[in-house]
Amino acid sequence: MAQLATASAKSGAEAKVKDAIDNLRSAAQDLHRQITDAAARKSGATKADLAALTEKAKSLAKSVKASIDTQQGNVAKHLTDAITHLEATQANLSDSLKATGADLDASVKKVLVEARASVQKLSEAVAEKRAANSAKKS
Amino acid sequence: MRNYIAAVFDDSRKAYEALRQLWDLDGRGDIAVHGTGVVHRDELGFIQVDTKETHPALGTAIGVGVGALLGALAGPAGAAVGAAGGAGIGAATGGAVGMIADLDRADTRQEAADETGFVLGFKQSAVIADVSEDWTTPIDTCIRKLGGKVYRRPRSDIRDDAWYSPAYPYGYYLYPYEYVPPAYAF
Repeated sequence: MAQLATASAKSGAEAKVKDAIDNLRSAAQDLHRQITDAAARKSGATKADLAALTEKAKSLAKSVKASIDTQQGNVAKHLTDAITHLEATQANLSDSLKATGADLDASVKKVLVEARASVQKLSEAVAEKRAANSAKKS
Repeated sequence: MRNYIAAVFDDSRKAYEALRQLWDLDGRGDIAVHGTGVVHRDELGFIQVDTKETHPALGTAIGVGVGALLGALAGPAGAAVGAAGGAGIGAATGGAVGMIADLDRADTRQEAADETGFVLGFKQSAVIADVSEDWTTPIDTCIRKLGGKVYRRPRSDIRDDAWYSPAYPYGYYLYPYEYVPPAYAF
């Protein structure tokens, strides 16, 4: 494989500055971490855990929505996809609050899948933004 | 460019040092890391994926998904084996070990070596990562300093694999943040 995937090499401080999308990704990573930790508890996630995580997913979806207007192209598309997955995370968390037994297991599994997908979309937005910044510099 | 990479080490602790440094590179904006995982192969050929204790269904899915990803990294020949052997790869916490994966079949090893050279040898560990990188130097330099070897496969190639699922890509089986099991915490 060629040493350089593109001719552009990041060098300046611009690439090192965390912007709003990095912070949104950090929040989504934290949400995923908390969901996996809650799912791992021996006695299962408590209703209080699930209620708190539902609020967190809702608040994160709201923050991502608020950031879209300042973004363009693929970054905006990835953010839109992230919102879809965060809303699905929130909906499945709400379902899990009402579920028991096998239904609870099924909804927790869906929560994990949607939360993972939301981090992925935010991560792709971060990558897109960094690549755009890098191209601007070169 | 979006790539799946495998950084192979003879020492499992070096693999975790590499994991930390990959996320540091992300934190500095040099690359974007979308997900990482660490796998080990013991002296008997058993492959273990380090995971958190989590929902049982997810644990199984990680074993299957990372198995398929390991196969995919080995190229088309290895991918067939990876998909078949994925279910036999244990997603384990702590010292538990999964069943033997079929990645060590001599014929497949040779074919896989012809494709990318990636084979996880006995008593080796590998960091598997899904990354976006403008150039390969940051990761190559960091892994080389730690005594490891990097293998890459473009994500676009892997997307052509017959069993690749756009709905749940291989990368989703990796941790979207730096996860280090307590046994390897620095």
